[in-house]
Amino acid sequence: MNTELVITDLHANVADKEILKGVNLTVKPGTVHAIMGPNGSGKSTLAYTLAGHPGYQVTGGEAWYQGQNILELAPDERAKLGLFLAFQYPVAIPGVTVANFLRAAVNAQRAEEGKDPKQTAMPMAQFRKELREKLTELEVDESFVRRYLNDGFSGGEKKRIEILQMSMLKPSMAILDETDSGLDIDALRIVSQGVNRLAEQNGEMGALVITHYQRLLNYIKPHFVSVMMDGRIVREGGAELALELEEKGYDWIREEVAAR
Amino acid sequence: MNALSTLPNLTDTQIIEAAQRRGEPGWLVLRREAAWKAFVEAVPPIWRRTDLSKFQPDRIIAPEAPSATRLTWDESLAAQGVIFMPLVEAAKSDDPIVRDRFGTAIDAHSHKFNALHAALWQDGAFLYVPKHVAAEAPFVASFGLNADGVSFAHNLVVLEEGSSASFVEEYSSADVNGQAFSNPATELFVGAGALLRYVVVQSWGAGVYHIGAQRVIAGRDATVEWVSANLGGKLQHVEAEIALTESGSRVEWQGVTFATNKQSLLTAPVLRHVGTNTESHLEFKTVVADDGYSSFDGLIKIEKDSKGTATRLEEHALHLGGKGRTDSIPGLKIDTNDVARAGHASTSGEIDEEQLFYMRARGISRAEAIHMIVMGFFDPVLERIPSEDVRGRVTAAIEAKL
Ligand SMILES: Nc1ncnc2c1ncn2[C@@H]1O[C@H](COP(=O)(O)OP(=O)(O)OP(=O)(O)O)[C@@H](O)[C@H]1O
Ligand SMILES: [Mg+2]
Repeated sequence: MNTELVITDLHANVADKEILKGVNLTVKPGTVHAIMGPNGSGKSTLAYTLAGHPGYQVTGGEAWYQGQNILELAPDERAKLGLFLAFQYPVAIPGVTVANFLRAAVNAQRAEEGKDPKQTAMPMAQFRKELREKLTELEVDESFVRRYLNDGFSGGEKKRIEILQMSMLKPSMAILDETDSGLDIDALRIVSQGVNRLAEQNGEMGALVITHYQRLLNYIKPHFVSVMMDGRIVREGGAELALELEEKGYDWIREEVAAR
Repeated sequence: MNALSTLPNLTDTQIIEAAQRRGEPGWLVLRREAAWKAFVEAVPPIWRRTDLSKFQPDRIIAPEAPSATRLTWDESLAAQGVIFMPLVEAAKSDDPIVRDRFGTAIDAHSHKFNALHAALWQDGAFLYVPKHVAAEAPFVASFGLNADGVSFAHNLVVLEEGSSASFVEEYSSADVNGQAFSNPATELFVGAGALLRYVVVQSWGAGVYHIGAQRVIAGRDATVEWVSANLGGKLQHVEAEIALTESGSRVEWQGVTFATNKQSLLTAPVLRHVGTNTESHLEFKTVVADDGYSSFDGLIKIEKDSKGTATRLEEHALHLGGKGRTDSIPGLKIDTNDVARAGHASTSGEIDEEQLFYMRARGISRAEAIHMIVMGFFDPVLERIPSEDVRGRVTAAIEAKL
């Protein structure tokens, strides 16, 4: 089974406007692939489209993962294949506690067709133990798990809870959409360590890391950096590309693209 | 003999003789007789939001004896003077507490159904908590239908000064083929500084018409925490009222209604602010699906002689698609200038697609996500139910509808 995420010529509309205009991108297992690009260039649109947000219509192209064109799957089926999206703007679910949400998500992913969900569910004791471990690692206070998910959480707290979810779900392909924005300096380090730990535990995990800042990439070392502009990947390089962008901005790439 | 006869064939003589056979005191027999007269004379009520056109009162069979009251409590409290027993038994003992309070909160002559109830009630509980006694474990009165598919329950709750207790009233049955009828009334008196937690769970099976009344009289500095769950039956029409007559009394009143499958569930809460510095907070949450219909016909009265009232009413409705409807007619009637706060908030909407997507992106199926969102919508209310067992049963009743 192919554990690369292979995106070819992906086109997608939002509200009848074409935002993704032919994205080509491959995320290899065991690599961190950073995506940078100006505001409004379509980075979140790519993330949402890959995760299956109903507001984003695919008008062309494919995205293959684990032997399937995931664009044809329901969002929950994609998650069960191991795809995880850490949202740029996590959604609040009032009335559902962090603990209950996590348990439902963990058990949903363990569920198997034709089997009693009670049988496949993670035993409560194991769930509690794992949750406690992750809370400690990510320095999240225990009291958070009894609060309603993202309800009244600060921007940074929400981001930390995204990574807590990721740590519990252990995806094989993680998309992080500006997980660094809104994090203070300590939180940035803690969250990055959380991501790196997952990558170490699962050497096959691929990560698509959307960010505006080189700073994050000091912690999560990218193997590849792609630049997105106006709905396309317009340049690819190694970690040094991020440094170059930090120094020079995007204008020089814009000029290059215009000259093509 | 367990039944008298159907309503059209029932006579006052039958009612009186049956009451005497049961050994009821004279005052109670007289009340039944007067109530039956009121029932016979009253015209059927015309309720705008309760459609009784398919209701067949002539098929109701008057019960002869109590049948389906189940009381659960911590019996060791009896040593402190706490009484929890079937109300008929308490009435027979001719205890003045029963005699003086019975029928004073709910007027048997206010409409035809209240009159019918007062004439025919059999089941129900009497709860008495003496001064300054704090009863931890809840008092649970559970009601079912008798063999003829009827239930007439009357509950009388008296909390003396400085006491505290939780009273839970539960109505449940299997689904009924055809029509069944439940016609309860509950009167609750909360003494000065006392704390009453009052939970009413209506989870009758399909086919049950549930037409009832509840009324709380709150004394000085009394606190009432009230949770209503309106889930079952074919039709519900409940008139619920609390009178904050004395200074410093307050109520925290929460309700959940879940109407599916052609159910019509109406709650008509009335909140009377009469005393000085009384406070109320009402929060009603409604979910409708399929062809369910729910209506919230609330009225907050801030009366002429009241001072410094603080009140807040919140209503939130969630539509799960289908042709379900909700009506919300919150009224606020203020007859004084001396009001501290009066607020109102209401929301109504469908399941948020962003929430659904977020949950599905974690692997949770659409159906389960909706299930969790609905339970989450109700959760802040269910959390306030002061008994884990009862909370579990309410949760199960809601889940069964999802
Ligand atoms: N629901 C929507 N309706 C209309 N336009 C939308 C909608 N969602 C996104 N867009 C537009 O799509 C374009 C791409 O947005 P997207 O969020 O993907 O950008 P981004 O690269 O993630 O930007 P940022 O760096 O600011 O997060 C923007 O012009 C945005 O205004
Ligand atoms: Mg974005």
